[in-house]
Amino acid sequence: MIEEWRLIELTINDAYMNMAIDEAILTMIQKGKSPNTIRFYRWNPSAVSIGYFQSLIDEVNVEACKQLNVDIVRRITGGGAVYHDYNGEITYSVIAYKEKLPEDILESYHVLCNGIVLGLKKLGLNPAFKPINDIVVNGKKISGNAQTRKLNAILQHGTILIDVDVEKMFKVLKVSDEKIKDKMIKSVKERVTSIKNELGKEVNFNEVAEALKKGFEEALNIKLSLGKLTEEEKALAEKLKVEKYSTKEWLYKR
Amino acid sequence: MKNLIKFEYKVPGGKLIKIFASIKNGFIEEIKITGDFFLHPEESIDELEEKLKGVKIDDETKIRNILTEFFKSKTLIGATAEDFLLALKGALNRA
Repeated sequence: MIEEWRLIELTINDAYMNMAIDEAILTMIQKGKSPNTIRFYRWNPSAVSIGYFQSLIDEVNVEACKQLNVDIVRRITGGGAVYHDYNGEITYSVIAYKEKLPEDILESYHVLCNGIVLGLKKLGLNPAFKPINDIVVNGKKISGNAQTRKLNAILQHGTILIDVDVEKMFKVLKVSDEKIKDKMIKSVKERVTSIKNELGKEVNFNEVAEALKKGFEEALNIKLSLGKLTEEEKALAEKLKVEKYSTKEWLYKR
Repeated sequence: MKNLIKFEYKVPGGKLIKIFASIKNGFIEEIKITGDFFLHPEESIDELEEKLKGVKIDDETKIRNILTEFFKSKTLIGATAEDFLLALKGALNRA
């Protein structure tokens, strides 16, 4: 029998709430109180998320973020800084009991990223998983992914570029060497792509979410059934947003 | 004498390790290891930094031992313990 997982359909939240919801579900799974879940979401306002180990002031141009109304949030997962443009990307999270996925972390990246690969194929793209944690189309990065594990639970979240604004990305993210910024922008344009770039047409967010949903169903051999956050998850997410993700202490932790 | 250093080490074909440290009289006073690597469990990075505090900057054997011991029970992805050693050595050479 095909196993049923919960689907939280495409929602729009601010950066702090998005990260708080992921952690709330992860916590409830550790307590055995929440089902295996996949959610899709967007970020409003647009935001930069940085990896757990990154130095905020070294990676993010805080002043530019203020001017452009871009939020900054620290993730509980490692990996790099990501600019989540409200109009240009979609994020997913898979939050599941550990036994549902390979114990080996690299292998589990492969299994979960395969959901994205299959989803993007449905949109007409020709994607490939690129270890450790990327998905590429025609050799260019279209998706970055990050994972953490807590007790018996796994969280993997990742971004899929729908339309990319490299100039804006470079305004909000810091480049180590300002002198080579132009060169870097050029090289990023050669190394990063988006669904719009590859298809040569606009795609809407719901279409992408629907394709990714099907991709995950196939990759994980599951059925995704529309569900909602529980009251307990919502309350915990509110608490984590206020007491953790939006605090200076967490943001400037490193 | 106090000396603030920042050093970036790019793992070949992989992630970036950035070291921020303050060195006092040849010893590590404060240290932050940052970057886009993956370490599980994440919170353990504080433990590693704590262990490196007070170490003499040219005591490579000690630094190597701290790293070996620390990473034994952790999962590091996108970098190796050897990369961390190279990053630390690169940083401490600047002191």
